[in-house]
Amino acid sequence: MTVNRRAFLSSTAAALALLAASPKFALAQTTPERGGTLRVALDQAISVIHPLLTRVNPEYLATELLYSNLTRLTTKMEVEPDLATAWQSNDELTVWTFTLREGLKFHDGAPCTSEDVVATFEAILNPDVASSARNNVGPIEKIEAVDPVTLRFTLTEPYADLPAALAFNSARIIPASVARGDLNSLRSTANGTGPFKLVSYEPDRLMVVERNPDFYDPARPYLDRIELHVFPDLGAQTSSLLSGDIDLVATIGPNHYMRLDGQQGVNVLRAASGQFCNVNFGTDLPPFNDVRLRKALALTVDREAMVDFMTEGFGTKGNDTPINESYPFFAPVTQRERDIEAAKALLAEAGYPNGIEVELIASDRPALRSQLAVALKDMAKEAGITINVVTMPHATYLDQVWTKGSFYVGFYNMQPTPDAIFKLLFTSDAAWNETRWNNPKFDDLVKRARATTAVDERTKLYTEAQALMTEEVPSIIPAFFDVLGAKRDWVDGYEIHPRGSVYRLDFAWLTAASPTRKG
Amino acid sequence: MSASYILKRIALVFYTLFVVSVLVFGITQILPADAAVMMLGENATTEALDALRNQMGLNDPIWQQYLHWAGGVLQGDFGQSLRTGQPVGPALFSALGTSLTLAVFSLCFMLVIAVPIGVIAAVRRGKAADLVVGLISYIGVSLPEFVTATLAVALIADWWGILPPAGYIPLSEDFWGGLQRLVLPVLVVSVMMIAHVSRMVRSELVDVLHSDYIRAARLKGLRPRRVLLRHGLRNALLPTITIVALDVGYLLGGVIVVEEIFSIPGIGRALMTAIQARDLPVIQAGVMIMAATYSIVNFAADLMYAWLDKRIQYD
Repeated sequence: MTVNRRAFLSSTAAALALLAASPKFALAQTTPERGGTLRVALDQAISVIHPLLTRVNPEYLATELLYSNLTRLTTKMEVEPDLATAWQSNDELTVWTFTLREGLKFHDGAPCTSEDVVATFEAILNPDVASSARNNVGPIEKIEAVDPVTLRFTLTEPYADLPAALAFNSARIIPASVARGDLNSLRSTANGTGPFKLVSYEPDRLMVVERNPDFYDPARPYLDRIELHVFPDLGAQTSSLLSGDIDLVATIGPNHYMRLDGQQGVNVLRAASGQFCNVNFGTDLPPFNDVRLRKALALTVDREAMVDFMTEGFGTKGNDTPINESYPFFAPVTQRERDIEAAKALLAEAGYPNGIEVELIASDRPALRSQLAVALKDMAKEAGITINVVTMPHATYLDQVWTKGSFYVGFYNMQPTPDAIFKLLFTSDAAWNETRWNNPKFDDLVKRARATTAVDERTKLYTEAQALMTEEVPSIIPAFFDVLGAKRDWVDGYEIHPRGSVYRLDFAWLTAASPTRKG
Repeated sequence: MSASYILKRIALVFYTLFVVSVLVFGITQILPADAAVMMLGENATTEALDALRNQMGLNDPIWQQYLHWAGGVLQGDFGQSLRTGQPVGPALFSALGTSLTLAVFSLCFMLVIAVPIGVIAAVRRGKAADLVVGLISYIGVSLPEFVTATLAVALIADWWGILPPAGYIPLSEDFWGGLQRLVLPVLVVSVMMIAHVSRMVRSELVDVLHSDYIRAARLKGLRPRRVLLRHGLRNALLPTITIVALDVGYLLGGVIVVEEIFSIPGIGRALMTAIQARDLPVIQAGVMIMAATYSIVNFAADLMYAWLDKRIQYD
């Protein structure tokens, strides 16, 4: 049995490596051009460039340019080689072997070997480092360097998604000397194996990188230089793209998307995604420890209207589970529709025949959170549920409400796999179990799904897990948002990624029509 | 102006800064956020958080924390940013430099426009020119910056496409490129200042032109231009200095909207980002730096006032 899977995994990796070598295969059949400076606009500061501590999209972009992971995700959400060219596991999916490329180099010229990878993962798994990757790279018990290009991961339990998990945004490979030495130096300097090298970094204004001539793929990157400009005002971002001062806007909202759509020289970019805003219940605290009340509230939600109101139509309906058709192994479960009568009946059954008054907390960032809260307030009113919306600064929210509150609004990027999002938010041992929902049956389904590579079996288990969530409603997930962006038409080779936090700018290039800029 | 006055005035500056330091430190202590969590993130373990709290002295009594912090500030050490982990001082002084660049260009531009139109309005009091200047200054005072900024960007950058809509490049890096990007923000910031400074110049000059010594100067047979500029304007400009000094305060802290819209990493924006992220060391240092700059500018304005008008004697 293993021979087949091994053969399959290795050959997939090899095929993807070939694809990676000819990136335009899936895009227009034009030849990438070399050179030029790409200017990218970001709507948030790049506060952190320490690759193990990044937490928001602009920071993920910055470290993606400077570092590499063992694997990465294509825009089809498939795993492809990055530093590792091939991987295979034992029958039980508990021991994984990864093979690195030969001749890898860090930006300072030092070789990158399996020892660096081992040291990196030791740092990631060290609780004192507080890396956001620690909970996302899988159940790793031990990692060893077999030889300079071979690594062995030993897991505490079977895990089929390890190759996808290693593509996590803050599991970038750093030199062993830094991982075991002054990790703090990564806050202002960078020494990775990524396609670009750091030139300058000012968190609130500008980060500049230049082409790494020693990148493992001699063909890439195509650009000489990339500038990441911080534009806190979204209007300024849009204007700068329109004027041609900026070439690419990494993320925009629906309003600016509509403003840019159809403008001469501008291409809008859109990808369906598993990104969502949700309403979390503290399932361990009254009144929301009563499933009838949670379900009653979920029944008041007009999901079609939510998609229109929150995403201006740039999204898809949710069904109170965090996975949708953008994820692998997705199979739909019965869509929950608005039913006020049923909601009222459940409410009465739960002991609130005359309705109930509750306080819903939303932080001010992104604004979508309060939009969701206000819309829910309106929708729930009809069933006799009075919602008082409280908004607060994001920092206060993180400190006082997040994972602690009993009724509040969350916001999440798409994760690489269903397992990743379930294990991040909803299993009993989830790193960010913000609903404190502890359901052994759900845990078991997720555990069984990660212990097999059989697609049908996994699809079946995840469908059951979804059905359970829809039944128990630890969280209302009314809508998913598309990822939106925009670029000038002289930028080629760039595709917007459904994950939202993956950019792949080493595949982008500037056509002859682009303006000349001094580098 | 006596030496004792200057010493007293300097003492007052230090006293003000001391009061500000106590206030800002006290206020940041009651902000709802845990500095250790802000620095290590939500994934940090309890042990890691405790270790950091000990290392940062967050478990010490507040007065001890204050003394430690103030001691650092006096030696030029403003601590580390909780958001970026980098030293606060260099980042904030760079932001202050950016704001000062915007301030200096805006002040120069404002003076070049506001003083002449104030003079014209005063000289041609009640005539069409005076009415036009009055109208412009009313509009200028009433329009908030986000409106003028949006209008300026829409017209000059989006529509005519003659200037980039946003972004900041230090002049030391690329002088012409940087200058181009300063034009729009300078225009927007200047609108309100031009409005009130030109009104100030006009009303002061009208008063001065009706004073006895101007009448005497005219009777002496001096040329009208000399009377206006040498005797009139010089005296009318005195109260304007105070207004300009107040404007410097506005330019440093009050132009956050302009810094935000034009993506200028000035001290106003740095402070706002810090407040949003509960980056306490940056908030504390930012307020201190702004308070110090403001005090120094006002001190300088008072000295200049006394120097220009010899009748003013401080003791």
